[in-house]
Amino acid sequence: MEKVLEIRGAAKRFGGVQALVDANLTLYPREIHALLGENGAGKSTLLKTLAGVHKLDAGSITLFGKEFIANGTRGSLEQGIAVIYQEPNLFPDLTLAENVFIGRQLTHGKTVAWKEMAEQSAALFKRLGVPLDPSRRARGLSIADQQIVEIAKALSLSAKVIVMDEPTAALSANETERLFGVARSLREEGAALVFVSHRLDEVMALCDRVTIMRDGATVATAPIAEVDTDKIVKWMVGRELSDLFPKMKANIGETILKVENISREGQFEDISFEVKAGEIVGIAGLVGSGRSEVIRAIFGIDNYEKGSVTFLGKKMKKNRPNQAMQDGIALVPEDRRQQGLFMPVSITRNTSITLLKGVSKFGLLRKASETGITAEWSKKMQLKFNSLEDSVDRLSGGNQQKVVLAKWLSTKPKLLIIDEPTRGIDVGTKSEVHRFLSQEATKGLGILMISSELPEVLGMSDRVLVMREGRLVAHFNADQANPENVIAAASGASK
Amino acid sequence: MRNLLRIRELPIAVVLVAFFSIAALGNHQLFSFSGLHDLLFGSSIICLLVSAETLIIVMKHIDLSIGSTIGFASYIIGKNASNGHGLLYCLLLGIIFGLAVGAVNGLLVAYFKLPSLVVTLGTLYLVRGLFNQVAGGDFINSDKVPHVLSFMASHTFAKIPYLFIVAFVLALIVGFYMRNFRSGRDLYAIGSNLPAAYLAGIKVEKRTFWAFTAAGGIAGLGGALLIARFGQAQANSGLGIELGVVAACVVGGVAIAGGIGTVFGAIIGALLLQTIVLALGALGVSQFWQGVVNGALLIAAISLDKVLSSRSQRTQIMRVSE
Repeated sequence: MEKVLEIRGAAKRFGGVQALVDANLTLYPREIHALLGENGAGKSTLLKTLAGVHKLDAGSITLFGKEFIANGTRGSLEQGIAVIYQEPNLFPDLTLAENVFIGRQLTHGKTVAWKEMAEQSAALFKRLGVPLDPSRRARGLSIADQQIVEIAKALSLSAKVIVMDEPTAALSANETERLFGVARSLREEGAALVFVSHRLDEVMALCDRVTIMRDGATVATAPIAEVDTDKIVKWMVGRELSDLFPKMKANIGETILKVENISREGQFEDISFEVKAGEIVGIAGLVGSGRSEVIRAIFGIDNYEKGSVTFLGKKMKKNRPNQAMQDGIALVPEDRRQQGLFMPVSITRNTSITLLKGVSKFGLLRKASETGITAEWSKKMQLKFNSLEDSVDRLSGGNQQKVVLAKWLSTKPKLLIIDEPTRGIDVGTKSEVHRFLSQEATKGLGILMISSELPEVLGMSDRVLVMREGRLVAHFNADQANPENVIAAASGASK
Repeated sequence: MRNLLRIRELPIAVVLVAFFSIAALGNHQLFSFSGLHDLLFGSSIICLLVSAETLIIVMKHIDLSIGSTIGFASYIIGKNASNGHGLLYCLLLGIIFGLAVGAVNGLLVAYFKLPSLVVTLGTLYLVRGLFNQVAGGDFINSDKVPHVLSFMASHTFAKIPYLFIVAFVLALIVGFYMRNFRSGRDLYAIGSNLPAAYLAGIKVEKRTFWAFTAAGGIAGLGGALLIARFGQAQANSGLGIELGVVAACVVGGVAIAGGIGTVFGAIIGALLLQTIVLALGALGVSQFWQGVVNGALLIAAISLDKVLSSRSQRTQIMRVSE
């Protein structure tokens, strides 16, 4: 059968990170092809290459026997590849019709042909079985409907390859079913679809073939009929836990944090767990499973409707992050550029911001004291910098993360909550961050760590909690937890 | 009917008519051809400039330099006319000057990626400073104003002042362009979602540059209306007018957050603000209170905008993975 798309030996490097090593993917017409892999396996890089965002360092991509040229999203669309992201990028103030035809509006002579555009979009929506009103604006449209608009756009360009990156992550069960219906009818019409998902049950129900990636390389491709979830999970994991995780033995002490049955409408339900002094508790789960929302509620950023949080024997008030800080909880957020740092400000100022009271006298900051504390911490953390007065946006990702850690640890917390401690950090700095966390745990710090990187969760945690769709679905001690049972719990594969 | 309700300018137009009627009931002078004439004549300069500002604000930018540009252009036109040059020549000079200022703004904003607020604040001072240097205490008085311009300022067509007709025709042209040309639609796309505009292959820099240049050109053309309207030009002509223009746009439904609004709406906004000035004046309210009412209206307009455009929080917590 004629191949629609063939990727051979794709390789791509970003700075110190080899994102793709040897990725291969072949698509045939009339198929829905699942692309699976852990976080960091290289799926996103591969998708962005197809979207024309990245250019490969090596390897080839052929589309209908012709070479594919990476030339921006527009270029990819014109060659017949449409990539639809989990959260589509529509123009909220423009009508759906104009969103479908943006940048290439139908015209009579020079002027836009509004009526034809509305009619054609309406026809596309109808063909997809979702009768959206083409003259409404995109603002306020549900994510499911936004995806439909993106698919309509792909159809209007007669895309032959439609790639969907975790399309169901933010969809309800009904919306997911509707999307699958659309996907199947596109398959009937001859398109090739790539479906990225972490939900193995969905993959088994929808897809015809599956390709699995690990560490930037394709490890297997097989018809769905010949595999089961066990086999897929084995392929996805298939690696030894490296000694990158220098977990030290810490003395586990008293319970410091006790979370009892907390719920927040639409985000998480009935969450209970404990963290002890000196213990590292990892929370695994897919993106969107509600992990970040839980820790935000514990720290007091968001409200929760039911349940209680007790810290050091004291029941914590809701919505009081300041109080939580004073009581000895530190939160290192996931997105350090947006939430963790003041990017254009110096290393010193960033480090000392959490303890301005300690370094000021009569309400004025004392420079010497600020600098002293920062110097001490930067040494402890082996921070690489030119001058402590440099702004933090000049540091590498790993070093920025160290500044965030210094900022919080210098407040001498009893509990550190950390969301994705090493996202986007090179391998060397990663292990430094791990060593540092482990070392602080031996001194009695309790650590609650969210991580989407399985080796990290398994390598660092004394206990592993797994969340799925807003619920705590599994709980393993370090010696019971293994990649298979954690992935199975997180993705809801029947075991 | 459903489409009529969707028109963003409708509520503000209703407010305008209601306000004008109420004010006219209190003061019969207002509700007459002469009252209407005062309204259209008095707001003609702002009505012209909103065409320029709307081009910019829908892209989520702002142009504060138009007040200085229109002032200097009016002086350039008046000075050259009084030196004996023909009207067309003078007009062309004014427009070229405006295009040049706009091109500088456009270059810095589009290609050097500098924030438009700061860039155009800079050119506001820069152009005004140059203007003061060049004009000094020079005063172009009404007998130097080209005859055609003073005729337009003092005559009407079907009871409508010529100056307003010029502004309105320009608004029709700019409004039609923004609604019906691909490049005009691009301005909305840029203001609505900039990253998506890049992804859709829209030539963001080119559009931004030309929109600023065109806005400058409109302000340059406006110089002719300014000198006609006041019958004079001197170093503080057009001083501070840009803020009235921005206020008219916002009141008229041009969202400061970009992506929404029409020139037509901005003109209604300008007329509403002018109605308030006239009505309060006619009712004997002091100038200071007029400022308070205009300010309150501006804040009310932007608050309404905020309510209308508040986005759902839920979608923000989900994030594209990896």
